[in-house]
Amino acid sequence: MDLPEENQSLPRRRFFINGIKALAALFGLGLGIPLAGFFISPALKKDKHDWIEIADSSLLKDGEPSRINYSYARKDGWKTAQTPRTAFVVKQASGEFAAFSNRCTHLGCGVNWDSALKQFKCPCHGGVFDAQGRVVEGPPPKALTRLALKVEANKIFVMEA
Amino acid sequence: MGRIYQFLDERLNLTPLLRDITDHPVPDHANVLKTRSAFIYCFGGIAFFIILLQALSGVFLMLYYSPTPEDAHASVTYIQNETAFGALLQGLHRVGASAAVIMVLLHMLRVFFTGSYKNPRELNWVVGVFLLLIVLAFGFTGYLLPWDQKAYWATTVGLNMVANVPLIGDFLASALRGGNEMGTLTLLRFFVIHVMFLPALLAIFLAAHFFMLRRQGISRPL
Repeated sequence: MDLPEENQSLPRRRFFINGIKALAALFGLGLGIPLAGFFISPALKKDKHDWIEIADSSLLKDGEPSRINYSYARKDGWKTAQTPRTAFVVKQASGEFAAFSNRCTHLGCGVNWDSALKQFKCPCHGGVFDAQGRVVEGPPPKALTRLALKVEANKIFVMEA
Repeated sequence: MGRIYQFLDERLNLTPLLRDITDHPVPDHANVLKTRSAFIYCFGGIAFFIILLQALSGVFLMLYYSPTPEDAHASVTYIQNETAFGALLQGLHRVGASAAVIMVLLHMLRVFFTGSYKNPRELNWVVGVFLLLIVLAFGFTGYLLPWDQKAYWATTVGLNMVANVPLIGDFLASALRGGNEMGTLTLLRFFVIHVMFLPALLAIFLAAHFFMLRRQGISRPL
């Protein structure tokens, strides 16, 4: 404040500077909150999931995971996208069914079932999972994702995680 | 804040620059505290402020807008109904467009009636006329983007007006339309003109407008 001014005009000048700053902050918040909310709003949305019929339970072999390709309708912005997915469905010794996503938990490549070794193998970085989806070796940090599954009238339904 | 400013100021000597921008003395005849009618000198600044809001809301609206005949209307509906604050931002952009045109026209009237366009400020008047045309072009191109009935037919009429220009009218209209029928190319080029070409032009002409204003100062009172 090196401007030559009367003594009493200094507080007034301060007052206006602070007032302008307060107004700017008000405008900044009034704009910033809607703009930020607008930007992040897709991330705040939860996808709705429905049961997807993927297979007939009578066609599955005991203990041997079957590779099943299916697709489901996913909301994609303002559109609906038919989204392809692959799962391995296995009838376990207990008689229960289990479904695993084919996506490797390392970086998302599609795993394959090696029927000779009874293991899932990832072609990308050598991840190996056993028939229950547990990590045997390689970089995957956790077991294959198990999809929610239900059986109704011999039809197998899964739900996307 | 203060320490960050001090750090930058020590190295870049910002204070004189900032003082030049923010501590600029306003002559009494343009100072609302000293002259009651001085608010008419605010119209240009308000127009600029609205244009800034338009730029900001426009950039954010582009996050969801898709300039194809298949998607355009659905994406605008999506903005209005399924995004947080989308209806607010879209409404702000729509109302702001009208407000910008109104404020630019009021600013033009002020300059006209205070005789501010006269020597030595003729060039700034000329640049101002270009700015008016740019703002109107923003309005015209932006009006098509929601791709609803009103947008479609307003643009049909607008382009038919262009076609009435003597000699080159038809050529001009189909160049703007991207062919002889309104469609994919029309929507896309109106979008690109709206968000790329016009903002660039606007920035250049605004810079010239403000540069001349600061060099010449506000015109003398009547």
